Amino acid sequence: MSTLIERTSRFAEGLDAAQGELFQCNAWDELWQYADSLSGETPAVSPAVHAHLQRGDLPDVNDPLRSIADRQVGITEAKLAIAETGSVLLIEPAPIDRAVSLLTRHLIVGVAREDIVDELSDGFRWLAQQPRAAAYATFVTGPSRTADIERSLTIGVQGPSRLTVAVLG
Amino acid sequence: MSASTAPFSVRYRRSVGDPDLKPRLLDFQRSWRESRDAQVRRLEQRTERSFDALRRDFAAVKDATLERMDDYIAEFRANAEAAGATVVELSTAAEAVSYIASICKSRGIDLVVKSKSMVSEEIELNHELEQQGITAIETDLGEWLLQLAEERPSHLVMPAIHQKRQYVAEILGAELGREFDPDDIPEMVASARDGLRRHYLSAGAGLTGANALVAETGSIMVVTNEGNMRLATSLPDVHFVTAGIEKLIPTWADAERQLQLLPRSATAQTLSTYTTCITGAQPGKEMHIILLDNGRRAMREQDVISDALRCIRCGACANVCPPYQVVGGHTFGHIYTGAIGLVNTTFHHGIEDAAGPQGLCVSCGACETVCPVAIPLPKQILEVRHQAHESGHAPLWERLALKLWARPRLFHYLMGIGALAAGLASLAGLVRNDHLRLPLPRKLRWRSVPTLPLRSGQTLVKSRATQDAIADSPASGQTVDLFAQCLADRLLPSAVDSAAKLIEAGGGLVNLPDGQHCCGLPAFDAGDWGTARQMARQTIETLEQSGNEIVTPAPSCVIAMQDHWPRLFRDEPDWLDRAEAVSNRVHDLASWLDSPGRLPDGCLSDGANGSWTAHRFCQASNRGDPGARIDLLVERLTGEPALPLEEPEVCCGFGGLTSLAAPEVGEGILERKLNCVAESGCDTLITNNPGCAIHLRAGANAGGASHETLHYADFLAARLPRNE
Ligand code: SF4
Repeated sequence: MSTLIERTSRFAEGLDAAQGELFQCNAWDELWQYADSLSGETPAVSPAVHAHLQRGDLPDVNDPLRSIADRQVGITEAKLAIAETGSVLLIEPAPIDRAVSLLTRHLIVGVAREDIVDELSDGFRWLAQQPRAAAYATFVTGPSRTADIERSLTIGVQGPSRLTVAVLG
Repeated sequence: MSASTAPFSVRYRRSVGDPDLKPRLLDFQRSWRESRDAQVRRLEQRTERSFDALRRDFAAVKDATLERMDDYIAEFRANAEAAGATVVELSTAAEAVSYIASICKSRGIDLVVKSKSMVSEEIELNHELEQQGITAIETDLGEWLLQLAEERPSHLVMPAIHQKRQYVAEILGAELGREFDPDDIPEMVASARDGLRRHYLSAGAGLTGANALVAETGSIMVVTNEGNMRLATSLPDVHFVTAGIEKLIPTWADAERQLQLLPRSATAQTLSTYTTCITGAQPGKEMHIILLDNGRRAMREQDVISDALRCIRCGACANVCPPYQVVGGHTFGHIYTGAIGLVNTTFHHGIEDAAGPQGLCVSCGACETVCPVAIPLPKQILEVRHQAHESGHAPLWERLALKLWARPRLFHYLMGIGALAAGLASLAGLVRNDHLRLPLPRKLRWRSVPTLPLRSGQTLVKSRATQDAIADSPASGQTVDLFAQCLADRLLPSAVDSAAKLIEAGGGLVNLPDGQHCCGLPAFDAGDWGTARQMARQTIETLEQSGNEIVTPAPSCVIAMQDHWPRLFRDEPDWLDRAEAVSNRVHDLASWLDSPGRLPDGCLSDGANGSWTAHRFCQASNRGDPGARIDLLVERLTGEPALPLEEPEVCCGFGGLTSLAAPEVGEGILERKLNCVAESGCDTLITNNPGCAIHLRAGANAGGASHETLHYADFLAARLPRNE
């Protein structure tokens, strides 16, 4: 078993290879400050992040599609991060959980530092033990992309065009 | 009729007439190879296991699952249904289409958004739904472009790889009613986001495929990059999954094993952007999982074919396929493309649709080396080709030529006449550098026609003085049978003579079995196993006389005897034994010269000057034969290093009958090879299979290349000391 520091630095490499960006911070509040500074709009947040932030000034997330579609910045939370591949594991059983990670342009995913695991197999082991989590689970590795036109890699298709993983703590 | 649904001959003509296709696919294959190899190296380092070990592990998982398919289907069904999904097992494409249509109708759904699914292509779902008034919209960018152009995919994972950006700009412009700059690819991609978004919001159903069906939890796993799959499964109320029954795997641990291999082999990514696992219907929604047979159970019943059900649709087999590079997937395949398409089309779509492209495969074996589930594709393609031949899908000229070839006396008689004619042509000034100067039709001009030398290889061997031994070897004093190979005997006789000299140089004595002719390879390759058996029997009878070890300068014959004979005689135990007794004694000359007829290091170090490089016979190389490394042998014996050659093991385009049946394919592959040879700057190109040597020489002659082409036996024998 590797140390947290080793796992974080391996994760950073994996994420970089997948064209994702790393942001290290101490707590959700700090993450919020960062996200809020990125564009003129208020970031969209997933229900779980909403609960973490405990801020009275956040819009409600009742009508995810209309309020979230194509918002500049969205914040969501990952259960695990995989050092090997630079992936984050999102557990999103209800469509409302997914709205933020699907429809915003720049997605910021918060994950606790101690939830960085070594390998993809650790992620699947976790998933196998959490049958409810597998209702809708996604390993996200970098921003959405395509190479369908003349194999030219283009970042940002239906999903976000920018992905930042914020490692908390 | 669109470019991709026309009859095979039309598709073939179109693809060879497209000047952009070859260079684009060549670029693609080379860059894929580089990134995929780097990925595989990293995987091997991290896991401390070889790619081969990793893929065999996962293949074993697939095999065990297929073995107990019905148990796993039951387990999957129970778990998926417990999670609220509906699972249906359907036998045919028509049943699958009508199931989906009836659910749509009963729910009042007239729009379905689709994520990429090869099974939905297999059952031609879009077209069929349209007949019933239901619109299906592809949301994967590549698939959407195909839909707009009314085309089929030309690659399993890069479906629109054949489309040029100018063409993409045109079809997007027509669909969206605005102009696109073909050079602004990001803008075209962005338009897909805008152009498709409204469909997600109004569609009643989303449809996806599945890369894996995980039995232990009844989950599907889908690997994508664009994010469209997640949208298609999140917004509409109904989720259809179309998947072949072979996609089952037992556990999540197996899913992880599959993921080690799939993205690396498909897009050369460590992991695709989205690996999505869904279990059951989401609250308030429906999930219908369609498990399709459509010929898969029949595949499982055929010993040679059943391994093809391991396929995880990565497309790697197309990415290393030389004929695919020349003609693309609309020609090299049907709906499934690449090597696997040549195999499974028969079972999903019938022999009619499968037969056309069979003759394009050059049997180089590259596909099997990269297949992440180790499917013996070359062997399976030859099996399907045989079935196509048996059902009457072989050109008449080919059948007749093979019938002549199968009769040694007639063959030699005709060759004799040919040689005389060539002699006359030479007198008439129609020969230059051993090739005829004939007015050939344009499509054949890329390769000159070699003349037939008056004296065959066997005649040369019989009529010369023996070579003195230059060293002792474990084979000193041992008599070996020399098998000339029919092609070398007539078209490259010097190689036969040189082989005899090199055996003698190592102290061996050469016996030339009388009446030897052809091992049956050309007929076997063409799918004509009846004729192949006739030739093989004749060769077995000839070679079983002496009981000596057998040496040949033709590695293709060694492969035919060791790999193909057991298949030819699988129903004839007596002949099988006899065939094995002979093939156990056969050696490729190159490996013989290492052991036991070993020539010492540096023993041929003085000789002709000039640089050389080596094209290594693809089939032997891809099979992992040590003797295929003629570069190492020649370096060892001459002390002169080879010049580096790019893609030294990629096929040269000879491919037996392929270069006759599909001359443009032979030409295209040869061009790739000769460009690499030219870049090497060598004076001499050596190679190990006589067919390749003849083909490469004739191509170089037609193209006016400056290098000389030799069989390595000739290259080495020229350096032997003259007898006292
Ligand atoms: S046959 Fe092998 S290489 Fe080809 S698509 Fe299937 S898994 Fe990939």
